Formats: sequence, C-alpha cells, structure tokens
Amino acid sequence: MSVAVESDRTLSADDRAAAGLVKPLAVMVADRKNPEGRRDIFVVVVLLTAMEITSRFVPDYIMPSPVAVWNAARELFFSDPYHVAVTLVRLAVSVTIAMITGVLIGLAMGMFPSVRPYLKAIVVIDTGIPALSWMLIAVFWFKNPESRIFFILLVILLPFYALNVYEGLRALPKELVEMIESFRPSRWQVLRYLILPHIVAYIFLTTKSVIGYAIRMVIFAELVASAIGIGARMNLAQSTFRIDQVLAWTFFLVILNLLLQALVSGLEKIFLKWRAEATVR
Amino acid sequence: MTEGNLIEVRGVTKTFGAHLAVDKLSMNVRRGEIVVLLGQTGAGKSTVLNLIMGTTRPDSGEIRVAGFDPHASFKALKGRLAVSFQTDRLLPWRTAVENVELGLLILGKSRSQARAHAREWLARVRLDGADDKYVHELSGGMRQRVSLARALAIDPEIVFLDESFSQLDHVTSRTLRRDFLQIAREFHKTCLLITHRIDDALEMADRALVLSAPAKVALEVPISDEARSNPGKIADLHARIASAMGGESQHEH
Repeated sequence: MSVAVESDRTLSADDRAAAGLVKPLAVMVADRKNPEGRRDIFVVVVLLTAMEITSRFVPDYIMPSPVAVWNAARELFFSDPYHVAVTLVRLAVSVTIAMITGVLIGLAMGMFPSVRPYLKAIVVIDTGIPALSWMLIAVFWFKNPESRIFFILLVILLPFYALNVYEGLRALPKELVEMIESFRPSRWQVLRYLILPHIVAYIFLTTKSVIGYAIRMVIFAELVASAIGIGARMNLAQSTFRIDQVLAWTFFLVILNLLLQALVSGLEKIFLKWRAEATVR
Repeated sequence: MTEGNLIEVRGVTKTFGAHLAVDKLSMNVRRGEIVVLLGQTGAGKSTVLNLIMGTTRPDSGEIRVAGFDPHASFKALKGRLAVSFQTDRLLPWRTAVENVELGLLILGKSRSQARAHAREWLARVRLDGADDKYVHELSGGMRQRVSLARALAIDPEIVFLDESFSQLDHVTSRTLRRDFLQIAREFHKTCLLITHRIDDALEMADRALVLSAPAKVALEVPISDEARSNPGKIADLHARIASAMGGESQHEH
C-alpha cells in the first residue's frame, strides 16, 4: 500500500523494526531454535560487553558499566513509577486522540470528494512540518504542559492515520461496494457494515508503525514541556550527570516499545482473526 | 406499467462517451417469471442489469421496477430486490451466517431475528454446519451458496442473478442451479438471470431473451417444461439461440 510505504519511509529503521520486523524479546528468548533470535541475543551480549569494557577506560559520566545501569534501573523502579505512569497515560491518550481524529479525517477524505483536496493538502503540509517546530509552537500556544504534549502528539501522529485510512478506503474493492449498495443501505449502514471493518487492518498497521515514533515524541515533548514524566526525569538525570539513569531509562523505553508492539500485535490477532494466514515462499 | 409486469423497460438507450451500450431496448418480466438474458461478452448484459437495478441512469427511455423508477426512487425498492453476483462478494470479516444476515440487518431486523433467519436460509441452501466458518474456510461452491442465501434471505420480490454460476465447476454449477430453481419456484420469486451459457437458460428459464450488441433484444424464446423434456425441441432451441448469439450450438446432451 503506497501510503503505508511512504509512512515507513518517514520513520526510522528502529520504528520499522519495532513495527514487526524484529520479534519481541520474549519470543526471541523462547524460540531457542530460531537462529535469527540467537543472533539478536548475541548482538545484545556484544553491546553489553562493549559497554563493560569501555566503562573501565572512561569516566562514569561518559559510560557507566552495565551493572551500574542495572542498579540505577532498580533504583528508578522504586522511586519513579509515578513518572512512568504519567508517561504511559500521556502516550495512551495522545495515540488514541490522534487515532480517532486521523481516522475521521481519513474517512472524510475518502467519503466526501468535495472536501478531499483541502483535507489532503492540510495533512500533506502537516507531514512536512518538523516535530521540533511543533514543539516550539506548542510552547508558545499552550500554557498547560498536558495540552502541549497532547497537541504535539496529535499533529505529529494524525497524518499517519489519516493517510493510511484514506488509502484503505481507496483499496476497498468496488465489488463489495456494489454488493452492499444492492441492498440500498443508508450511508451510516455502509460505514458500519463495510467501511469500518475494512479499515481496522489499516488502523493496526498504522499503530504498529507509529508506536516507536510516538514513544520518542512523548519523551521529547516531556523533556521540553513538562516537569513530570520519563522525559522530564531524563532531563533531570542529564542535568545531574546521572548517565546511568539516562541509560536505564533508555533501556526501559526500548523494552516498553517491544511490549507495546506485542500488545498491539496481540490485539490485531484478536480483531483480525478472520484473515487467512498467507505463506510466501 | 402493464399489469402483471414487475419489470418493464421501454425504449431505453445508454451510451458511455461515444460507445452505445444499450440501443432502444424494450423488454419485460412478469411476476413469478424466470427470464434469462443471454448474450455474448460485451453485449451489454451487465449494463442492462445496472439500469434495472437503478445504479445507472438511462439516457432516454423508461424503466419501471415494481412500479418505481429504480434510479429516481432508489430507496423505495429497498428490500424488494436482491442480487447474486458472478463472484460471491462475501465480506471476509464476517462468518457465513453473518454474511447472510447482512441484508436483514440493513432492512432493520433485530440481530436475533436476523441471526435466526440467516441460519434457516443457510440450511435451505444446504450449508447447515458451516454457519460460523469464515469466508476463507469455505469452498467456491459453498461461498456461492452463502451469496445466494444472502440474496434470498431478505425475501425480495425480484432476484437478479448476474452470471452467478459461471465461475463454478460444471457439477457444482449444475447442483446449485437446480437448488436455486427449486427455491425460486417454491417461494414464487420473479427472477432475471444474466448469463452467456445457453444451457443455463434452457434449464432454468420460462423465457430467454437474446441480446445483440449494443444491447437490443435479437430473439425472444419461451421455454416450456414440455420443451425441456423433449430433447429434439431443446436441441432446436439451443441452435436458434446460438445462432442469434452469433455462435455455433454446443448443446450439453
């Protein structure tokens, strides 16, 4: 699907990997016979070893040892769960709002040809505005930190949902539209019985694609616009030269990304259980 | 509209750009009658169906379906017409029974009523036991049966079959034709079938209309049960229809 590919292009390799190209850690560990999983574990071990070796030759504030990072992580686990919860709530609320708004705009683009060019232009312009610009604009426009964060996430994530849902509507088979029209349904019935079930797959695809990006953006937004949340705590750790905490938060965010990917994939399997498994040689 | 006619087409013309698709077509289908529209590929059969369904507007002429202009009074015919298409056109995210209940839900039936009625219709098309299977778990013949059940479940006055059996293998197609015919007769349905297969017409129709391109009735042939039971008459009808369609007779004996 063209827009999905475009969306992927705008995301980093990490996002694409997290969106499904890399297996969740738990699966990798469990699947001992999987050579790809073993290679991934090998890479992690090599990185930890490199950290350990480097930490012996440079000061702690440049590269702490993995043990120091582990200890910092344990410390944060007991001292900062509130900040983790705040970030998770912000992430969940922001992604949900962006999803609902983006889906509505995508549906409007697909179903109302008269407004399509205007909405499409707005969405495409939005995709060209750097995230940093939105963050600075949010600081000027909103006083409340929560409003700033939700606004930033909304304007950054919305185009992905809008464009993918629009492409989903364009990919709706004409035959199915003719079939349902033969029963002479209302516009609402077409939406309920045909369009909404059809675009569910596109919503999941988009969510998997943007989740890593959304985590990074919420952390970045917290860093510039809030005193609480993981981003704010990372900012504090940086200003107090606690690189062990910065790295501990970083590892936590990587694991959080994998867990959320697994959660979305699990929900996708439930909601899209009707799909036949295809095997490509 | 002439009394007794459920579908009436009078002098209808339809063009797409410079292409004349339907040329002053006149035809009718009486209540309870099974009429087959025959024609080669490109004869305009599907355009005629779309005109009668009201999804396409004629350039000139008049169409009446159950007394209504099907295009201008599109919603007035809600629940009175149903179509079974060449391909099953089932919604893949719905199970067999959920696909059958689709039309009923659109007509405003409650979910429980629709579900019970859909199960009855699945049993009628000999698919009991397949209710909760998803589309990809059904064979081509089973899917087409679900599609027929979906069309018939809303109890329409008129059923349109657009090459509904043409993509199935010979044996499945024949079984399905016979099952459909039995149901159509039992429930006194008015049917307009579109096909390019003469044998389908000879087996099912009360009357066959052969279209020449651009769509215009080139031959109208009544087919009685008496003729159907007489191999000589059937062979003769086959030859006449094949000749009107511009091909050679290849009758299935």
